[in-house]
Amino acid sequence: MRKTKELAFSYGFLMPSLALTLVLGIYPIAWAMRYMFYDYKGYGKQTFIGLDNFARVMRDGEFWHAVSNTFVYAGGKLALSIPFALLLAVVLNRGLRGRQILRAVFFLPTIVSTAVMAVVFFAIFNAYNGVLNQFLLKYKLIGGAVDWLGADHAMMTVVLVSVWGAVGNYMLLFIAGLQNIPADVYESASLDGANKLQQFRYVTVPMLGPVMQMIVMLAIINALKGYESIMVLTDGGPIGKTNVMFLYVYKLFFPTAGTGAASQIQEIGYGSAVAFVTAIIVGLITLLYYFGSKRMNRYA
Amino acid sequence: MNKKQLMLAALSATLAGSLAACSGKDSADGRDGGAAGDKTKIVYWTGDRHDSEFIKEKVDDFNRTNTDGIEVELVVKGDDFDQALDMSFQTSEAPDVIRVKENTIQTFYKKGYLAPIDDYLSDELRAKFPQMDALNSFDGKRYSLPNYGTTMRLIYNKELFQKAGIANPPTTLAELVSDAKKITAVGKANGEYGFAQNFKSPGSALGRSARVIAEISGFGGFGYDFKAARYDFTPFKPIIEAFKQMRDDGSMLPGVESLDIDPLRAQFAEGKIGMYLSFSAEAGVYQSQFPAKIEWAAAPAPSIDGNVKGASGFLGGQWLAISSQSAHKDAAWTFMSYMYGDPILQQYQEKGFGISMVPSVSEVAAKPEVYGIDGFLPNAHDGVWPVYPAVPVQGAKSDDVFFKYILDGGDLDALIADLNKRYTTALDAAIASGDVVAEPDADFDPAKLAGQYAS
Repeated sequence: MRKTKELAFSYGFLMPSLALTLVLGIYPIAWAMRYMFYDYKGYGKQTFIGLDNFARVMRDGEFWHAVSNTFVYAGGKLALSIPFALLLAVVLNRGLRGRQILRAVFFLPTIVSTAVMAVVFFAIFNAYNGVLNQFLLKYKLIGGAVDWLGADHAMMTVVLVSVWGAVGNYMLLFIAGLQNIPADVYESASLDGANKLQQFRYVTVPMLGPVMQMIVMLAIINALKGYESIMVLTDGGPIGKTNVMFLYVYKLFFPTAGTGAASQIQEIGYGSAVAFVTAIIVGLITLLYYFGSKRMNRYA
Repeated sequence: MNKKQLMLAALSATLAGSLAACSGKDSADGRDGGAAGDKTKIVYWTGDRHDSEFIKEKVDDFNRTNTDGIEVELVVKGDDFDQALDMSFQTSEAPDVIRVKENTIQTFYKKGYLAPIDDYLSDELRAKFPQMDALNSFDGKRYSLPNYGTTMRLIYNKELFQKAGIANPPTTLAELVSDAKKITAVGKANGEYGFAQNFKSPGSALGRSARVIAEISGFGGFGYDFKAARYDFTPFKPIIEAFKQMRDDGSMLPGVESLDIDPLRAQFAEGKIGMYLSFSAEAGVYQSQFPAKIEWAAAPAPSIDGNVKGASGFLGGQWLAISSQSAHKDAAWTFMSYMYGDPILQQYQEKGFGISMVPSVSEVAAKPEVYGIDGFLPNAHDGVWPVYPAVPVQGAKSDDVFFKYILDGGDLDALIADLNKRYTTALDAAIASGDVVAEPDADFDPAKLAGQYAS
């Protein structure tokens, strides 16, 4: 009887979030999944077309180009943001004067709106009067203005902007992880003659493993799903060079650019199929990482 | 209240809250923004920012003076207008009055967002406001009324033209390319370039440049051949080649690949761009948004070879519409009637927000009080094109294909052949499914579209 009461109590507390998840999470997914098998433009007839949308996904060069861009973008973002965030966390976890202020400064980009960020970075990176070009030209580090948002450099630029936006967040998570490592482990290592670098290599990194596994997994998912900063900075261009999976999906559901009526046509059926395929891709990569990174959990 | 009761109450409140948020509205009285006190509250959404202060002032006047107990809430949306409207209809929180445009009214009509206004129209109003198929009327019913139209022009910096020794704005593509080169040659050292377009969005850039060059040359601005009822992008070949030539010559502003329209305007206002193509709204932009520091003017867009065989698109034919979900359609119409009254329409033109498309208003309204507007006023070459059948094409859109060619080159003939094939396939599919109607019109003559609105 007591166990039943406890169960009822537990489920009672679960219900509000379960209800919200069902209504705001599961229902939209089910809604989208239904349209994967339809030709539907958001109005008019909804024609059942079986697996045609998936066949179109397979031969849609633009989508697969966006997938490949996503890997480059996500790879670049992870390769830069995780080590940099860890480094910052280690430095700002020490008894540094003003560390709280510095933490806040590094965390600030996480809470800055994408629109503000777009204006700021456009002012920095634009080719004709951007701050970066003016600085580099002044000190003769470049021979002529570089189009940082042009076809040749746009991907690198959006990766750097995304790193700027992500580092502070991961830094805080790493700091939380670092603060859970007992001080006496470092003391023992120090007594055994380990220098600071060795302490970092043989104490910090292994003991941070479980936290790092979680942070990297979150970072992978965020990087694969990220598109907002790209949308405002380059809108996926020039010529699709920075178009990523989720931006491609977004534009199928919410076409915006263009002055003609054709530019307003939604592709809800096809967009749903593409969204499903992207979810599978993100899910598979996350699973691969999860199983591949189990070693990181050995100190948990 | 014991623990169990407390928990149940909390649970019920959460469920009720979340379900209520997602449920539709069945009763007029239950809607958000419904009767506020003894007033009927209606919501008016617009995506226009160039006239927002003027519209706000007029809405305030209406709220203060109307004797029908109607209160209008004006909501000025940003670039997310269309998405926000979709969401509002999905959540049954749609506005009562909606700003519709040439490129949105068809979609909004097909989505069922708009209510017909025929029952409200007196014979006098029917005669006053021209009925335009697919621009304000569908299947014999009217959904909006015209207010103002937008012309498309070449906008040029007179000072840079003078500096480069160019007497007149270009009238052919060859002159466009050559003038851009001359301006760049004499101005590059000062950061002045001959030409620019907002290629961050190729659709927006080519929709205000290649489109008007094609139209004034006698070809559909979106690749649709009204005579044959087929898509054929072949006429765009010389236009896109000219754009590529300007790019290859280095005559385009650096960074044009990622340039949005507002940064382009900011640079033009600073005197860094020789010319670009755009809409008549630019006149207002250089008066208030980006006050121009230079002498500039607008001229008719160049044609392909100097021969005007068509009409430079005069865009418009619609302005406000009533939402099909509005629970207060009568109140919405009362507000619409006020907005479509002669005083507001007349001021709309005179303040330079747009050029009237309502003949009785055009007759009495003074020329807009805006610098540079003269070049935008409708001339003998401006005209309203019929609406082309919009189809969802698979693969890259024409604008993206053309922009890629401008940057990277390639076999333009092959690219155009592929576009023709894909767009025609999409058109045939749309015709077969009944989504669009497209019938050949052997008598279609684009030159005959011009001149109707000449001032």
